[in-house]
Amino acid sequence: MITVDRLTAGYGKLEILQNLSLSFATGQFSAVLGPNGSGKSTLMKAIMGINTIFGGSVRLARQELVGMPTEAISRLGIAYVPQRENIFDELTVLENLQLGARSLASAEREAALAELLELFPVLGKRPGQRAGLLSGGEHQMLAIAIAWLSRPTLMLLDEPSAGLAPAVAVEVFAVLQALVAQGITLIVVEQNARRILQYCDQAFVLREGQLAFQGSAEECLRDEETIKGYLGVH
Amino acid sequence: MPPALLTTSLVNTIQIGSLYALMALGITLTFSVMKLPNFAHADYVSAGAYAALIVSLSGVLNPFVIMAAAFIVGALAALISHLFVFKPLEGRDVSLYTLILSSFAVGLIIRYILFLMADYFNLFDLRIAIPLRILFREGSLILSNLFAWVVPTSIVLVIALTLLLNRTPLGREMRALANNTSLARVIGIPVERVKNHAWLLVGGLAGVAGALWGMQTAVSPLMGWAAVLSVFAAAILGGLSSFTGTILGAYVVAFSEHTVMLFLNFNFGVDLAYKPAIPFIIIIAVLLIRPRGLTQLIKRGGELQR
Repeated sequence: MITVDRLTAGYGKLEILQNLSLSFATGQFSAVLGPNGSGKSTLMKAIMGINTIFGGSVRLARQELVGMPTEAISRLGIAYVPQRENIFDELTVLENLQLGARSLASAEREAALAELLELFPVLGKRPGQRAGLLSGGEHQMLAIAIAWLSRPTLMLLDEPSAGLAPAVAVEVFAVLQALVAQGITLIVVEQNARRILQYCDQAFVLREGQLAFQGSAEECLRDEETIKGYLGVH
Repeated sequence: MPPALLTTSLVNTIQIGSLYALMALGITLTFSVMKLPNFAHADYVSAGAYAALIVSLSGVLNPFVIMAAAFIVGALAALISHLFVFKPLEGRDVSLYTLILSSFAVGLIIRYILFLMADYFNLFDLRIAIPLRILFREGSLILSNLFAWVVPTSIVLVIALTLLLNRTPLGREMRALANNTSLARVIGIPVERVKNHAWLLVGGLAGVAGALWGMQTAVSPLMGWAAVLSVFAAAILGGLSSFTGTILGAYVVAFSEHTVMLFLNFNFGVDLAYKPAIPFIIIIAVLLIRPRGLTQLIKRGGELQR
């Protein structure tokens, strides 16, 4: 369980999230939706301790995350896949994977890398290739794989399907479902509400830095007002 | 240009180029991992040279011991300047210009500490006292045991550094930091620890370069500073990011300063006093024509940047 309590956060002096309170249940696939500038990415970054937090708290179980350095938050088992620059593009695919698995013991690392190829078969094809040369879908798979290799209990993904062809986006969502099946808690920011609502359990809609809707995916899909008013007609 | 002169100048090119490579790789590494063009790097070289000189004056003449002492002193100088100056400044989010200026200041402080020490103990115009032996002589070409130390040691260290960066977990983490610092933090790489290791490595190599240099020329508090432009020219030829480009750049600069200079002097009467202008010309030319350095010439499409 990750609990966000009266959180005010943003960048520099700019406050984007205003007094936001919500909580994500363990083992669930939660979607964070909302128009551009509503604070979705800001929420991800605030959980990871990357941006400026003006007040409030973020707790993983009973552990307070506000004030902890990003590296330490990552070591608690929270993995974050940023929307952009989410791979080491000048290193090889294999080196990216090795960096993802860097904190595992060597026996565990072998097992993780073997399991990885089942989840992400495309990454086994050219391990020596420079990661920056991967296609859009392969790039996104690598970014998710790096995060997954640290064996996290909670994964935050910022628009994992952005810029991908629809067929490729479906592959990405299939991988996300497989991660949930492994018991990993997922929090995914998404622009395309209709698509992700077919996969996720819970939906949170942000608007101007505040919570506008919270409920199950079915409720969100049925709530035409939310869809049209806050999410556009995707 | 007579062949004997050409051969001698080529030997100088290899010898000086190897030293430049050792120093310039440190500058490239500092720039790519720490995002800092560090002008104090030159003074880690001088500090290493003095450490080597003092050890040799105390009667220890084993070159490995001398180089180890130079490595330690250079490494400590680099780590101290990071911990007490660069890291606190980075924590305040100062601009790149402030960092560059502060690196000049750090360099000045080290240089004048060396001056004070050299003055007090009368350590001017001394060479690291490894006995000079002639290994090879043919006409005007003389190869001494110093050549046999300087060139292979530099090359071995350059290879060792390349292997460390490309084949070890620490090197991988340094390259990850160079490539994408924020992602490195996100995946839990202990960024500060990796940086400390990089500083020790960079300063240590600069120190060893100082020791090797002090074997062939008089040690002075200004020796590193005197080479700083040539070394930066080499690093800029490497685009401040490519290690292969930097090594190549070091030999290009040394070749221009020795062989090309002699050629111009012999055939066109260009005064040798213009030699110090060569690195300036190279820096300006690279920045105007090919600001990303030689890298783009070497790297073809998919090849990994090394």
